Amino acid sequence: MLQAAITGTFPGIATNTDDRRLAAACAAGDTKVFEEIYRRFGDRMKSVAWNHLGNVSDAEDAVQETFLKIHRSASTYTGEASFSTWIFRILVNTCFDALRKRKRRVDEAPIEEEVETAERTAPSVDDAKRITLRKLLDELTEQRRAVFTLFEIEGLSHAEIGEILGISEGNSKWILFATKKELQEKWKRTKP
Amino acid sequence: MTIPCSNLDDLLLDGTPQSMQLAAQHAAGCPACAETLESWNDISATAGSMRTTWTSDLLWPRIERRLVEDRRSRLSGQARLPVLHSVRRVAAAMLLTVGLGGTMWYALREQAHEAAFDRRIIQSSALDEVEKAENAHVAAIAKLEGLAETRLEETETPLMVSYKEKLMLLDDAIAECEAAVDRNRQNAHLRKQLLAMYSDKQQTLEDVLREDTHVSTP
Repeated sequence: MLQAAITGTFPGIATNTDDRRLAAACAAGDTKVFEEIYRRFGDRMKSVAWNHLGNVSDAEDAVQETFLKIHRSASTYTGEASFSTWIFRILVNTCFDALRKRKRRVDEAPIEEEVETAERTAPSVDDAKRITLRKLLDELTEQRRAVFTLFEIEGLSHAEIGEILGISEGNSKWILFATKKELQEKWKRTKP
Repeated sequence: MTIPCSNLDDLLLDGTPQSMQLAAQHAAGCPACAETLESWNDISATAGSMRTTWTSDLLWPRIERRLVEDRRSRLSGQARLPVLHSVRRVAAAMLLTVGLGGTMWYALREQAHEAAFDRRIIQSSALDEVEKAENAHVAAIAKLEGLAETRLEETETPLMVSYKEKLMLLDDAIAECEAAVDRNRQNAHLRKQLLAMYSDKQQTLEDVLREDTHVSTP
């Protein structure tokens, strides 16, 4: 029953009732349910974390931390948002925390790490453009970076982004537009 | 359908396939907007290629291990709760005992203060009565002295001389005792002595007047 709930499409992977049962299983520490969540969302979680944090090590740490937070706080899940949306909300907040910690470490140099084993969905796009865009994303505020990443990279809808970030759908749309305008100005100057 | 350049941003904000198609149609005949739309789409295309996956065989085992550890530590934390509850109960009992003890000590202290206050009031009342008696003696003595003064000065009989000497001795003793009483008004022994001296002087003065009456009477 629970496994059936997890196999839905993101983010509405289950009905509210199933989501609550899923949360209860997570709160009880059912490892099999966690494994199924990892199997279903692990890759996407890694991608979201990597596009926020810029390196594999930090991204994997953020995914692990997210699973621990799910375990610890699943009992507080109310069912207002879908369970998968709730998971990605925790993940994005974990990435924000990691970015803030990194900013506090003044001596830490920005990490430039490309994923050697990455399988890109569009290998024809110029690597230089990706590197340029990644640098420009680093300069964005947390919220703008999250909206851009979730919409343009991960392909989530504005409604889903609104639920994850706790903003309205219209606000998500406006933030994306403003972010792309900001990126466009810099993009023209750098001419990748 | 003709789209003015000023509407391009509205189309980009909307972002739906229909809006983007209209923007493309407009850009086909507008080089400036075509450049804007090109970079706009370029960013989206580049972003679309940034979805990243990699194989990490060790990540799930690591997460699983941490989840098990976390569960164990939470369970052991719950197991410690009864012990913590016992400690809290003992601490609460001790706190209650200390609180009750403190309250009792305070109540007894207040009671002792009240008793001392009562004693002081009683003592003060007794003192008032003694002082009233002293004042009555002093007033009576003053009146008798006034009556006996002439007799004592004019009459030189041996008996009268003896009364005069006795009265002089009593005055010295009274003065000395009054000075001692002023230094310690609570001293019951001194007050008793003083009263006795006043009484003696009053009696002596009455004797003088009586003697004088005997002498004067043929």
